[in-house]
Amino acid sequence: MDFLDALGPKGPYRSRHRLTVSDVTGVPMAELSLVPRLFVTRALAALRAADTLPLEERLAALKRAGELFATGTVAGMSAEAYEGAVCRMSGSPLANVRIAVEAIRLSATDAYRNVQAARPVGAVGDWRDPYARSGTAVWIRRGDVFAVHAAGNHPAVHALWLEALALGYRVAVRPSRREPLTPYRLVSALRAAGFGPDQVVLLPTDHDAAGEILHGADLSMVYGGQEVIDRYAADPAVLPNGPGRSKILITADREWRDHLDVVVDSIARHGGTACVNATAVLVEGDPAPVAEALAERLAALPSLPPQDERAVLPVHPLEVARGFERLLLGKAAGARAWLGGDGVVDDLGDGSAALRPAVFQLDDPRDPRLGVELSFPCVWVAPWTREAGVAALRDSLVVTAITGDEALLDGLLAEPSIKNLYIGDHPTHWIAPGLPHDAYLGEFLMRTKAVIRG
Amino acid sequence: MPTASLSVLDIPFDERPDPDEYIRAAMEWHFGPDTGSPFWLRTAETLDFDPRRDVKGVADLALFPNVTGELREVPVRDLIPQGYGADARIVGVFESGGTTGAPKRIVCLRDWLDRLTHGLSADLDGLGIPRGVDWLAIAPSGPHMVGEMVAGTAARHGGLMFRVDMDPRWVKKLISGGKAEETDAYVNHLVEQAAYVLRTQDIGVLMTTPPLLERLARHDDLIELIGEKVKGIMWGGAHMDADTRHLLRSEVFPGCELYGTYGNTMILGGATERLGLGPDEPCVFDPRTPFVTFSVVDPASGRPVPYGERGQVVMNHVSKSALLPNNLERDLAIRVPPPEGAVGDSVADVGPVAMFDDEVVIEGVY
Repeated sequence: MDFLDALGPKGPYRSRHRLTVSDVTGVPMAELSLVPRLFVTRALAALRAADTLPLEERLAALKRAGELFATGTVAGMSAEAYEGAVCRMSGSPLANVRIAVEAIRLSATDAYRNVQAARPVGAVGDWRDPYARSGTAVWIRRGDVFAVHAAGNHPAVHALWLEALALGYRVAVRPSRREPLTPYRLVSALRAAGFGPDQVVLLPTDHDAAGEILHGADLSMVYGGQEVIDRYAADPAVLPNGPGRSKILITADREWRDHLDVVVDSIARHGGTACVNATAVLVEGDPAPVAEALAERLAALPSLPPQDERAVLPVHPLEVARGFERLLLGKAAGARAWLGGDGVVDDLGDGSAALRPAVFQLDDPRDPRLGVELSFPCVWVAPWTREAGVAALRDSLVVTAITGDEALLDGLLAEPSIKNLYIGDHPTHWIAPGLPHDAYLGEFLMRTKAVIRG
Repeated sequence: MPTASLSVLDIPFDERPDPDEYIRAAMEWHFGPDTGSPFWLRTAETLDFDPRRDVKGVADLALFPNVTGELREVPVRDLIPQGYGADARIVGVFESGGTTGAPKRIVCLRDWLDRLTHGLSADLDGLGIPRGVDWLAIAPSGPHMVGEMVAGTAARHGGLMFRVDMDPRWVKKLISGGKAEETDAYVNHLVEQAAYVLRTQDIGVLMTTPPLLERLARHDDLIELIGEKVKGIMWGGAHMDADTRHLLRSEVFPGCELYGTYGNTMILGGATERLGLGPDEPCVFDPRTPFVTFSVVDPASGRPVPYGERGQVVMNHVSKSALLPNNLERDLAIRVPPPEGAVGDSVADVGPVAMFDDEVVIEGVY
C-alpha cells in the first residue's frame, strides 16, 4: 500500500497535495491524496447528475460489496492484510476491527431490510403499489446526494451510510485522515461490485475543502465533538453525530455485583472508543465499592500492540496518548481516583502507547464531568439519588437501567435526550440489525408523499 | 536636477537595466534633497547608514527598516518624490486590504503604472491572449490597486473593461466573524453580477481571484459561457494550489489560458506566473526585477532559506515612483532560483502554512 487515492467520479485520483498516513509507531504506511475544493465541487455535481441504480441492482451490488469487503481482495489488498493494516494505522485492537468488518458486511447484506424498519407504517415504497389506487403515502428520498464526514474512532462507523446507498442516494464520503483505509476499501469494494464511480466517491480533503462537501450535498452526516453538534444543531440538512455519553444506572433494588460483567463490558468493549461505551455509572447508594470493583477488573486488561490477537486497549502515537492523558488529568482534578490517577499512558516502547483504563469517583450526580467522554475505557462513577432522578441521565446515546422501578423506566423512556434505553442486564454497546442507533437514519433521509392513482 | 545617472530610472519599458546601477540611481533620486519625498528625506535622518553611499545594489536593500507600518498614518502627499515637480502625474492613492490591521496607503504615479501594464500586456501577448478583446474583472476596485492595474492592462491591451466590484475587507470581516451564510450570499451576489456581463457581452479576458473562479465553476451554464467566449483568465489575490490549477486547466476551462499574478499593494503591483511549467510543478512567480525583488527568508533568523524550502517573503519595490524596501510580508512561499538575468528570488506555492494535524485531542470519541 503506497497510495490511497481519492476515488472520484472519473476513477481514482492522485493529487499533488498528499498526506502521509503513518501507523501508531510513526512508520509511514501510505500517501493519502487530499483533493482541493474544486475537485469536491465537481465530484458532487457528477453525483447529482448521475442516475440511481435500480433497486434490485443496487441491493445485489451492496450484498456483493459487503462480502468482498469482509473476505475478498480489494484494490490489491486481502481481507487479512486490511485488518492488520487498519489496526496499525488506527490503533484499534484487532478484535475491534473484526467486529467492525462483520458489522459492515451485515449492513451491506441486510441494508434494505434494515432501512425498511424506518418506513412509516402508512407508507409504501413505490407508486405502483396497489395501495396507491385508493391513496397512500409513498416513502421518498429527501434528496439525491448524501455526504458523510466520517469519524476515525471505529471502523464500524462506515456501516451506517450503506443504508443511504440502499435507499438510492449517491454518496460522498470524506474519510477521517487518521484512518482513511476502511472507507477506501469499502468504496473500492462497492465499485468492484457494480456501483459506478458517479454513485459513490471518496473525497479526502483538508479543512479548507471540508465545508464544500456539506455545501454540495443535499443531506449530510457529520461526526465530531460537542462543538460539531452545536455548529449544526440548527441546520436541517445536517445530521450531527456527537459524543454518546452513554450511562449505566443501578438502583438500590438491584445487587450491583450481579451486573459487574455487563458494566465492565460496557466500558471496555471496542477498546472504549465507541459512542456506545459507558462514560458514566450512577449508583443508588455508595458508589465507592462499585468504583473499586471496576478499577480492579479494568486494571487487569493487558497493554498490547493493536494487531495482537489479545489486544483490547486503543493505541496511539505516544504524543497523542499523552495529550489524552493531560486532558483526562485536567478534568479529573479533585475527583477520587480509583484507577489512572497517576496517568493512563503505557509506553509500548516503539513510539506508540496504549491508553489504559481510568475510573474516577464523583460526589454529585449533577457533576458535568459525568459527560466527559474520552476514546478509551474511562468511566466516571457517581451516586444517584431519587432527587437527581432522570435529569442525571440526560444527553445519553444509551442508558442501561438496572432497576425494577417501572415509574423510573417510564421517565427514562419519555426523556427525549436519552436516545436508547436498555433495561436490565444488557451492555450499552448492545445492538441488533433493524434497530435504531440514534434514531433510524431513514428518518433523516426520507419523507412521505401522498399519492393516488387512477 | 536629474543627473545622467538617474536616466536609468526612465529606461524604456522593454529594456532591463543593470540591477545594481538601477538601485544606485534610485537611491540618488529618493534621497537627493531636491528629488526625494518628504517622507524618505525625513526617514533618512533616522537611519544608521547613508543610502546614497551604502546601498550599492539589490542586496543592500536589506539594510532598510521595514517602514510599511508607517504608511497607515503618513500624509500621502509626503510620499511623492519632489523630483516630479508640480506636474507629477498621480494615478491614485491606493490602500492595502487591511488584513494585518488598518490599511496602508501608497501613491501610484503614471510612469510606474505604465511600466507595470506594459509588462503585463507583453506577457499576455506571449500567452497568445488577443489584443482588442474586452475584459471582465471581478476584483477589488476603489482603494485597491489591483482594479487600476487590471484596468490599465486591459486598456493597454486594447480592451474595454467591465467591472464587478469586490470589497475584500468586508469579506474578511464576514469570514472572521464566522458569518458563513453572509459570506456565501455576498459571493453569490458577485457571481450573479458577473453572469449578467458574461451573458450579454463579448468577454475575451476574465480577471478574478481563485475563490471566485471556483464559485463560477459551480455553475455549469457559466462554465459553458466562459468556455465559449473567454480566451484568457488572469487570476490573483489569493493562493491557488497545483491541483486546483491543473483541474481548471484540464477540465473546467480547458480552452482558456490561465495566468496567475501574485500581487500586493506594497510592491505596487505583482509578480507574474512563469510560463511553460508542467502540471506537476507548483506555480512559480517571477517579480519584474530590479523594480520589484523578493527574497525568501527564515522568519526567525532573517536569513535566506535554501532553494526549494519554504520561508517568509520579503519584498522590495524600487521605482522612480516609490521606494518600499525590505518589507517582510506575512506570505509564505518556496524559494526558487530566479530566471536568467533576474535578481533576488522567485517564489512558488505561495500560501498559508499547510495545516495537517487536525487530529488534536477532542472530547467525545471522534
